[in-house]
Amino acid sequence: MGIIQHGDSSNSINNVNNIFNVTDNVSNAGNISNTSNTNAVSTMPPPGPVLREQDQYMPIANVIRIMRRILPPHAKISDEAKETIQECVSEFISFITGEANERCQSEQRKTVTAEDILCAMGKLGFDDYIEPLTVYLTRYRQSENERTSLRGDTFLKRGNAYGPMMIPPHGVAPFNAGFQEGMTDAARAIMGGYNHGAHPGGAAGSSSQQAPFDDNLDPFVEFK
Amino acid sequence: MRQAGTYSGILSGGISGKTGPHLLPLARIKKIMKKSGEDVKMISGESPIVFSKACELFIKELTQRSWMVTMQGKRRTLNKEDVASAVMATDLFDFLVNLVSESGNSGEAPPSLGLDTFTSS
Repeated sequence: MGIIQHGDSSNSINNVNNIFNVTDNVSNAGNISNTSNTNAVSTMPPPGPVLREQDQYMPIANVIRIMRRILPPHAKISDEAKETIQECVSEFISFITGEANERCQSEQRKTVTAEDILCAMGKLGFDDYIEPLTVYLTRYRQSENERTSLRGDTFLKRGNAYGPMMIPPHGVAPFNAGFQEGMTDAARAIMGGYNHGAHPGGAAGSSSQQAPFDDNLDPFVEFK
Repeated sequence: MRQAGTYSGILSGGISGKTGPHLLPLARIKKIMKKSGEDVKMISGESPIVFSKACELFIKELTQRSWMVTMQGKRRTLNKEDVASAVMATDLFDFLVNLVSESGNSGEAPPSLGLDTFTSS
């Protein structure tokens, strides 16, 4: 059988991965006389696990880079420790995603959102992460809005005190200030800050129920 | 994927290379999320972004706790056993207990099985 080429031919790394994902190609790897392969099987490394390590873990260089930010300069890290932490990160993602997905399904939604992830973290004990992540997400959304340069004008036109990159006070505060919008604090704070005119100056820039950032925040449309 | 602009300067300390303003590749995060369950259907665009920061926090915390074990042993090399000890000592990391107590990676034969191979021949 020939190698089944998946659609993305521009990414050669994907092609290599796809070869290992098709079980009948595992036997082809040893069969040099197979002339129906467009990729020379003999140049491929020996067949490995069905899902290559590259796909199921974060790149180890990135993991090490983050570790080094925490460790003193003289610290050394064994290769096994690097790999263990690499595996732990993937486990962490799966663990949180599983919980977030459950919540999604129980509410009969199909899309796992940032809010779901933050709630899952709270439920699974990662409360300390919620606040920094909320800040991060808020800033990210601001920068995205600035990038599209649609809403930046809205901020400036209102003549309020917010500079282009300043976070409106209630963009973050709701997390602490008991912004009462419903069950979960963190992500509701994110949404509440944008959707319900929490900004004192009306920086949301709209008196309608439609949050001004809806165009850019498709994932939240279903929460209306 | 995204422009490294005003955002990267504020948030990630200027790491704006191949992965853009994020420290961890978003496509890979998405892949791992999908793999976590058969029924994970759709993922919002912001989810991998939240995870990229969350994973950074996670790596930092796990590394820090592991390093404390290393220091207690008066060593300078953080090894796998230090990570395992940190996991055991932290309730938050209970979900990792099985992972760190396995003798090797799922994809390759752990070195400790080498002895069995030799003796069985």
